[in-house]
Amino acid sequence: MAESADPPITGGRGRILARTRLDFWLDALLLVAYTLAYSLGFTGLATHEWLGIGLGAVLLIHITLHWDWVIRTTRKLLRPGGRERFIWLVNLLLLLSMTLCIASGILISEVALPQLGIVPPASSFWRQMHDTTATVTLILVPIHAALRWRWIVSVARRLAGWRPGRSR
Amino acid sequence: MKFLRHFTAVVLTVAVIVGLGLLWAHASGGGGTRIGSGRGPAFIHSGPGAAPSRQVLLRLRQIKAGVIRVGPAGDGFQFADTRNLIRTAEIEAALAAVVITVSAARRRRRRTRRTAATKA
Repeated sequence: MAESADPPITGGRGRILARTRLDFWLDALLLVAYTLAYSLGFTGLATHEWLGIGLGAVLLIHITLHWDWVIRTTRKLLRPGGRERFIWLVNLLLLLSMTLCIASGILISEVALPQLGIVPPASSFWRQMHDTTATVTLILVPIHAALRWRWIVSVARRLAGWRPGRSR
Repeated sequence: MKFLRHFTAVVLTVAVIVGLGLLWAHASGGGGTRIGSGRGPAFIHSGPGAAPSRQVLLRLRQIKAGVIRVGPAGDGFQFADTRNLIRTAEIEAALAAVVITVSAARRRRRRTRRTAATKA
């Protein structure tokens, strides 16, 4: 999600920074991919599994891009001030649930991994873990996104070429 | 270079989480392959180097032969079942709406308080 409290969105002459653009579209991609992956009835098992694996790869890039924020906020945890701490906690829970969801999904894979010649040792433990963490992730993803809604609205407006107070 | 450094840190963090998950599975005795009911052990603890069980191989062969249909209705998007997708999107939208409403209300209250303090 968006870096720090409210990172700079524009460079000179109000142009959107390339990094902001990348963050925005990567976040949008993750949100759409997760929504699709959770809807197993719509995607079918094969698409669900490949989407999940792809989601895992994009998630690694997403966290890497925001690693500075993770370090900075973790260092500031002991200081007073609630909002960033709450966001940090939501993000930590989301990291745990999403990682376990994708890992357990790989361990119970019935199509994607067998297609690659790997037969994972499926068990009821991982199946239950996958169901539980997927539901927890479904709750945390919209909270995670909504906590940065002002950043999302701001970037979306600029991408659409709309500025407050300017008639078109 | 910085990206690579951060990427390594992220991969390590994810590996630790997955490792803890595997430990949890091992501790609860649920990390192996279920080989069905009946007498004898219910699980075979299969590590990374262990050979897959006969049941797993049979299931794989059945999937390849098309005997077992994978997914609720086979492969690819099931446009007849968009209700499933819409329901997911609705849950996400509802949760996001709650968070945004609370956040906006808190922000408005903070602003009102600040304005009142300035006037006083």
